[in-house]
Amino acid sequence: MSTDEIRTRVKKSIATITNISLDEISDSASYKDDLKLDSLTILEIAVDAEYQFQVQISDDDLGEIRTVEDTVRMVQQYLSPAVV
Amino acid sequence: MDHRIVITGIGVVTPIGTGCEGFWRNLLAGYSGIAPVQSFDTSGYNVHRGAEVKEFNAKEYTLNLDAAHLGRASQFAIAASRLALADAGVEIRSIDLKRAGVSMGTTSGEPREVERFDDSYVSKDLGRIGPEFLSLYPCHVIAAHVASELHFAGVNTMIPTACAAGNYAIAHALDVLRAGRADLMLAGGSDAFSRITFTGFARLGAVAPEICQPFDRFRKGMIPAEGAGVLVLESLSRARKRGARIYAEVAGYGLSCDAHHMTAAHPQGDGAARAMQQALADSRTEPEEVSYISAHGTGTPTNDRLETIAVKRLFKDAAYRIPISSIKSMLGHTMGAASAIEAAVCALAVFHDCVPPTINLNEPDPDCDLDYVPNYARRLRVNVAMNNAYAFGGNNASLILRKWELSN
Amino acid sequence: MMRNRVVITGMSVVSALGDSPARLYASLCEGRSGIKPVRGFSTAGLGCPLGGEIADFDAANYLGQRNLRPLDRTSRLVASAAQLALEDSGWSADVRKGDEVGLVLGTMFCSVHTISEFDRRALEAGPAYASPMDFSNTVINAAAGQTAIVHDLRGVNTTISTGVTSGLAAIAYATDLIRSGRAHALLAGGADELCFESFYGFDRAGLLCRSDNCAGDFPIPFDARRNGSALGEGAALLMLEDAALARKRGARVLGEVRGHGASYDCSRGHDDKESVEAVAYAIRQALHDAFMLPNEIDCLSASANGSELGDRHEAYGVFAGLNGQTHRLPVTAVKSMLGETLGASGPMQTVALLETMRDGVLPGIPQLETIEDGFPLEMARAESQEAEVINGLINSVGLDGHCCSLILSQCDR
Repeated sequence: MSTDEIRTRVKKSIATITNISLDEISDSASYKDDLKLDSLTILEIAVDAEYQFQVQISDDDLGEIRTVEDTVRMVQQYLSPAVV
Repeated sequence: MDHRIVITGIGVVTPIGTGCEGFWRNLLAGYSGIAPVQSFDTSGYNVHRGAEVKEFNAKEYTLNLDAAHLGRASQFAIAASRLALADAGVEIRSIDLKRAGVSMGTTSGEPREVERFDDSYVSKDLGRIGPEFLSLYPCHVIAAHVASELHFAGVNTMIPTACAAGNYAIAHALDVLRAGRADLMLAGGSDAFSRITFTGFARLGAVAPEICQPFDRFRKGMIPAEGAGVLVLESLSRARKRGARIYAEVAGYGLSCDAHHMTAAHPQGDGAARAMQQALADSRTEPEEVSYISAHGTGTPTNDRLETIAVKRLFKDAAYRIPISSIKSMLGHTMGAASAIEAAVCALAVFHDCVPPTINLNEPDPDCDLDYVPNYARRLRVNVAMNNAYAFGGNNASLILRKWELSN
Repeated sequence: MMRNRVVITGMSVVSALGDSPARLYASLCEGRSGIKPVRGFSTAGLGCPLGGEIADFDAANYLGQRNLRPLDRTSRLVASAAQLALEDSGWSADVRKGDEVGLVLGTMFCSVHTISEFDRRALEAGPAYASPMDFSNTVINAAAGQTAIVHDLRGVNTTISTGVTSGLAAIAYATDLIRSGRAHALLAGGADELCFESFYGFDRAGLLCRSDNCAGDFPIPFDARRNGSALGEGAALLMLEDAALARKRGARVLGEVRGHGASYDCSRGHDDKESVEAVAYAIRQALHDAFMLPNEIDCLSASANGSELGDRHEAYGVFAGLNGQTHRLPVTAVKSMLGETLGASGPMQTVALLETMRDGVLPGIPQLETIEDGFPLEMARAESQEAEVINGLINSVGLDGHCCSLILSQCDR
C-alpha cells in the first residue's frame, strides 16, 4: 500500500472521529497542539488506524506519535516489517 | 420525621472475603485479592490480572428466588443484603414490607448477559438467547431481585452512576428515610467481573500489570474487580428502640458533575472538591473535624494525582493531618460496588477506631505527599470519615459518616 | 423538614411524533400514530416488525456543528432534548453559570447497542481493536455525562434506571432534591433509543404485539383484543425549579409537581393481587405526598401500552388507589401512539399532560373499542375528549415490578 493511500485513509478517519474537515488536517498537524484533541480522541485515532490496517502498534511506539504524519509513518512501518 | 439516619448492618461480598467480620480482618491485615483472571480467557490482552470473588455460593443466600436464574451481580447483591440484615439483627417478619426499600448502584448491571448475547450474535446463533434475556440483563434487575428475594415492596431504585454509584445509592436511601418514605433501606452497590469492562480499561491503557499501588510513585493503573456492599440504614430512634448496634451515622453528602470529559477528571479537581465541600456543609462538619478519608484512589497516575490536588484544595493545611487510604490497593476497583464497600469500611473505621492501609505503597510520589496510611492499618480515633468516589461521566459523590453519639 | 414547592418552567421532547411539545400534542389529539415498520435495523425473524422510531433524527439540527462523534444515539437524543428544554425555560448558556443547573436522567438501557457493538468488535477483531471512544459510552450514566459536557451542566448529575418507570422516577428524584434545597434547577426526564438488542429482548419475551395482528392498528391499550406493546424511542426533559426562585427570575410556569409515590411489585406481574396492590400503593403514596384526595384527580395518563397483564393490573390498581372513584375520570394512554419509550415514557406523558392542561383536550386511545366486562376505567375513549385538568395523575408501571406515580397541577390552584 502506498504512503499516499495510507495518508488519505488516516486523514479520513481523523475527519470522521473529530468532525474536523479534511482540508484543515495537514500532514504536520500535531494532534494535541494544532488539532486540540484530548488524549481519548488521540487514542481513538490510533486504535482506528490499527483496526483499519490490521496492525498492532506497541505501546512504546504509540507514545511516539505526535502528528498525523507520525501515524502514517508508523502504519507504513508496521505494514512492511523489516527484512532481517 | 427522624432526620438522623444510622447504619446498623453491613454485608459485603469481596475479593478478600464475604461477610463483614472476615473482610474487615483481612482488610486490616493488608490481604490482596488480586490474582490472574479466571472468569474468561485473557490471552488476547496485554494485561491478565483482576480481583475476583472466590468460592461464592449464591444458593447459600438466595432462599426464595432461584439463584440459577439470576445474574452474578444480583447474586452478590442478594448475598450482601442478607448478610447486612443478619448483621443488623433485623427480623424480616417484624417489618412493614411496604416501608422497606432497596437503593442500589452499579456500573455494568449484568454484563455477562449481554456478553452471552454478543457471543451468540457473533457465532450467528442468536436463537440461544431466549425470553429470559430481558428479565436478566437490564441493570435495574439488581435492586429488583433483592426486593423480590426479601419481599421488600417499598421504594426500589437503581442508580447506575458507574464508579461512584454506591455513594449515590446510599445518599438516595438517606433522603428516602428522612422524607419518611421508608422505615428501612438496604443501600449499596454491586458489580460482576465483566469482559466488557476489562476490555475497555485495558484498551485505555489504564490497567496495571501486576498490583494496584495507589499514590505510589511507580503506580501503573487500576485493577478491575467485582463485589458488592450493602448497608442497612434506618432512623436513629428506631435503631435505639430495638437495641441495635449502631456503626455510624450517615451525616450528609455532596454530589457534583465535572462536565469536563467522559473518562478523565477535571484537571484542577474542581468537581471532586465541590462534592467534598457540599458534603461537609451538608453534614455541618468543619474540614479539620474529618478524621479519615477513604479515597477513590484507583491507582492510575492521573486519578491519584488529581485526587490529591482536590483534597489539598479543600482541606488546605489540614490535608496533611488527615489519614487517607485506598482499599482499592487490596480489592482492586469493584466498580459500582466500590464506594458502597468503602462506605462500609468508613462505618467500620468509625465504629472500631481503626483505619485500613494503602498497601503496595513503597515509593512516595512528590505529587502525592499526604498521609496515605502506607502498608499498615492504624489505630486512631475516627469521629468523622469521608468517603469519596469519582466516576466516568464526571459523576462525583462524597459521603460523611460520623460517630452517632456526637451530635452536631 | 424543608419542603420547597417545585414548578415546571420548561419542557422538551424528541419523539416519533415530533420534536416539540406542541407537535407531539397535536399528533396525539389527532390520533396519529408514530408506530411504523422499523427501518433502522432488520426485524427479520422477529415476531413484530413495528416500532415508534424517530425517522431521520439528526442531532446537528439541535446542537449545531459541534463534534458529535463521541456521542451515540442515546446521548444525542438527550443532549438535543436538553438544548430544547434549556431554551424553552430560559436557562440559556449566558444565564446559567455552570453549577446552577443539573440533570437527572432516567433510562432503562442507555446504550445497550453501544455496549454490544463495543463487545462484538472486540470479539471479532480482538480486544486490541476495541474502540476507546465507544467504551466511554458503555456505562449507563453515559448519556447524562455526555449531556452535561455538551451543555456545561455542573450541578447534580444522576442517572436512574428502574425499567419503564426510570423517567418518572427521575422526575420524582429531582423533585425531592429541590424540595430539600439541595438543588434549585434541574433538568429531569428520560430517554431510550430503539435498537436491535433491546427490541430482540422484548420480542423474545413475548411482550410485543404479534405480526399477524399488527395491521397498524395495534397496540391498543386497555382493549380486550390487546396482545402486546410496540417499542418506541426518544427523549423528554422537564426543567424543574424551586417555585420561589422561578418567580423571582420571572420564569413562565407550566405546572407544579405536587407529589409522587413508588412501590415495587415483588411478584413482577405474576400475582394479580400483589401487582394490582403495587399500582394502588404507588398512587396512594403520591396522593399522600401531594396532600390530595382521590376525587381531586381530574385525569389519568396511564402507562398502559397494550400489555395484556400490565394494562389490567394498572386499570384495577388505579381503581383501588383512587378508592373506586374512576367512573368520571378521563383516561389517556399515549403509548398507543408513541409506543413504549421506556425511560422516556413517563416524561413524554408529562409533556403531553401539561399540553392538555394548557389546551383542554385529552388524547384518545385510537382503535379502542372492545372493553372487558367490569373494566373500571369507563372514560377511556378512542377519540380525544375535552377535559379541564387542574390536577393530573401520571403512572409508570413496568412488568419488571416497578410502579411510580406523579401528580401534577396547574399553577396557582
